[in-house]
Parts: sequence; C-alpha cells; structure tokens
Amino acid sequence: MLKSVSRAVQLAARLSSSVPSAPAASRAFPRSVWSLSHSGAAAASRPRLLTAARALPTLSCGCRSLHTEGDKAFAEFLTDEIKEEKKIQKNKGLPKMSGGWELELNGTEAKLIRSLSGEKVTITFNVNNSIPPQLEEDPEHTQKSPEDEPEIVSTPNFVVEVTKPGAKSSLVFDCHFPEDETGHAEGEEESDIFTIREVSFQPEGDTEWKETSYTLNTDSLDWALYDHLMDFLADRGVDNTFADELTELSTALEHQEYIKFLEDLSTFVKSK
Amino acid sequence: MGVVLRNLQNVVPLRRAKLRKDVEVLRHIFGVQRFDMGIICVDNRRIQRINHVYRKKNQPTDVLSFPFYEDLRPGKIPCVLQREEYNLGDIFLGVEYVMQQCKETSQDLHEALTVVTAHGICHLLGYRHETEEEWNEMQQKESYILSEFNRLTGSHLEPLTKRSTQDMRP
Repeated sequence: MLKSVSRAVQLAARLSSSVPSAPAASRAFPRSVWSLSHSGAAAASRPRLLTAARALPTLSCGCRSLHTEGDKAFAEFLTDEIKEEKKIQKNKGLPKMSGGWELELNGTEAKLIRSLSGEKVTITFNVNNSIPPQLEEDPEHTQKSPEDEPEIVSTPNFVVEVTKPGAKSSLVFDCHFPEDETGHAEGEEESDIFTIREVSFQPEGDTEWKETSYTLNTDSLDWALYDHLMDFLADRGVDNTFADELTELSTALEHQEYIKFLEDLSTFVKSK
Repeated sequence: MGVVLRNLQNVVPLRRAKLRKDVEVLRHIFGVQRFDMGIICVDNRRIQRINHVYRKKNQPTDVLSFPFYEDLRPGKIPCVLQREEYNLGDIFLGVEYVMQQCKETSQDLHEALTVVTAHGICHLLGYRHETEEEWNEMQQKESYILSEFNRLTGSHLEPLTKRSTQDMRP
C-alpha cells in the first residue's frame, strides 16, 4: 500500500514555491564539477577545476576529517540553534488525532489509518516542503519582534485512500490545503479549509500507480459532484476538524524532524 | 459560475450537497438562476467578528448578507449589461448560531439553514426589515418562497419570525 500511493504522495509533496526547477543542464553541472575534482585513479590526467590557490584554514586534531574555522563556527551556531528550537518546541511528543486514527511514521512520511465497518481509510502525507512561504504583509515593517513573527504551520498535501472490503480498487483522493496567496491575516481567508484536487481509482494492494486509471481533476468539476465527494470524505472522518488536527500533527512532526536534522548536521560537522 | 459554497468552520457537521441542492431550488423560485452567489458557512467567532466590523454589533448572528447590487427596489431582479455583473453577492451563514437555535427549538439544522438562506437571498434582492412595513413586505416574500419550496420538495419550512433573527443587511 505504501508503494502504491508513493507516486501520489510524491506528487502531493510538490513545492509551493514559484521558483521553477533548474533545467537539466544546470542540474548535471554540480555532478560534473564533483567528478572533475575527485581524486580518483584517473584524476591526475584530468584538468583540476577545484584546486585551491592557497591552503584552506584547518584545525589540526589528528583525525582524518577536515575541520575548518568555519566548521567550528558552524558547530557552535548549530548548538545554539538546536537549543533555541527545543525551547520553542510545543510538545516533545506528537499531538494525538481524535477519531481513533492509528499513526505510522517512516521518517518524514506519516500514515493515519482507520477502519470503519469493514472499510479502511488511509491518509498519507509527507512533511517535506509542507510549509508555505511566509509573505510579508507590510514591506515597510521588516523588523519584527519575536512575538510578531508569524507562526510556522505545516500544511502538507495529503492522500486519502478508501478501500471497501473485497474491492479490487481503492478510491484515492489527492487533497490540498489552499495556499493563502495574499498573506491575509488570520480569519480573513474565504477558502475551504482543505480541497480535493484529484480523484482516481487505484488497484488495491498494487505497488505501482496505474497511469491508465482516469484521474478526475476538480478544477473544472461540477460543484454538486465536488460537494458529494467532500461529504463522502466527511462521513469517513476526513472533515474540517480532521484537517485542522492534521496540520497540528504535521507541524509538530516537521519541527521534530527539523531538530533531528540539525542534530545530525551538528554531529556530521563535528565528526572525527 | 453558480453557487460558490465554502465551509470555513469545524463546529457543525455540514452536508454540503444537501445545502447546495436546497439553495439551487431557492434560486430557481426567486428567478435568479443566472446569477452567481456565494454561501459561506462560518462559526460564531467569525460571524461575530463580521457582525462587529460591518454592523457594530459584537455578537454572533444567524446570517449576514453582502449584496452586489445595493439599493435595489425590493424583489427587483437586477438588469445586467455585462456577464461579470451576473452576481447577487455573498451570504454568510452563522451555522453554529443556527445549530444552537435548532437545539432550543428541536428543529432540523439543514431545514433551518435553508430558511435562513432564503432570508439572506431576500436581502441580496433589496428586502430590508428596518421598519414594520418593510418587515411585513419581506415576510410576505419569504412565505411565498418557502411555500413554493415546500410544494416542490415536500418539506414543511416556515419563515423566520422577528425574534428568531437578529440580522439586518450590513
């Protein structure tokens, strides 16, 4: 089941940024630069691209790793950063979802599973790229006090799979939290709390996403049909309350993963 | 476009499809099927804020209407010259407030929302109830609309009474 929706989750974990992805040529460039500077067997015959004109500042500690003044400052910065992040961490654990959802975690990917009268409902989301860009409301007031800083909220795209007993296919919904493009203050948004973007039947238990299954896109969908689909999800516990709780869970998980990443980074930078 | 329906609250479990279906019947009876309209369902906190901002009343209410066409003669269908002007405006439904009223009167929530929406559409079409005369005129219109609705759907809806709504057009 994990693999069967992996493509959907990958699609769902799209960046909200408007920055276009780099073209293929420039993505290949860093790899070619790395191979030019690699000190392999044939490296002597290759032109040296990344040879420093002068020696890099290092700290000699007798180990095989590179330690620079920059690394030391970086490690100190990370120590402070980790301390601060842990200070503002709301809960050490993750908030619980109401409605009897069972939580499974796999790094940044989370699954919420529930059974209802033989029907299985699975919600899958990934906290990577789940924090929308914070827009400045007033360009003149760029210096904000800590109290004025907007709260970071994770609003991941999520995939809902509904599987009826004995059915060969699952009904799969790709759901999104609408992005607040104009940076409205709290309470001024007039979008639904979450929206359904795409609906499709996918083979139950299959590992591959079936590209030949019709995918309904709700952009130009009859609104009555859309409302029926929303009511269908609400009857299975995927309603506005669920959506609000999911953002709380996702925000806590994202923060947890961020702190873990900083700790791993600190260990890596300091590693001997 | 039609009816844009938004549910911004999580206090009241809402049947979107039923609400939309009932609103479509109302639009047909009012004769405004060609006009776009917004129905936004909000909780007490949000409708209280809107009520405070636009009517200086810091309390929740059942419905607030924001007409596209202001100063319409009551009941007059707007005369439209351009496609983008086929718009009646927006109705904010205080669903939490209505649910609380339903609990007191043992009324069905979605039936009450249909009645309140009919009231809201009357406001979009220029009806007011600031004077006794205006209230009677609006009450008459609502009674007609709801009796037609009942005939078409087999429902038994009744118009809002003076005490059951605190709204006015902002």
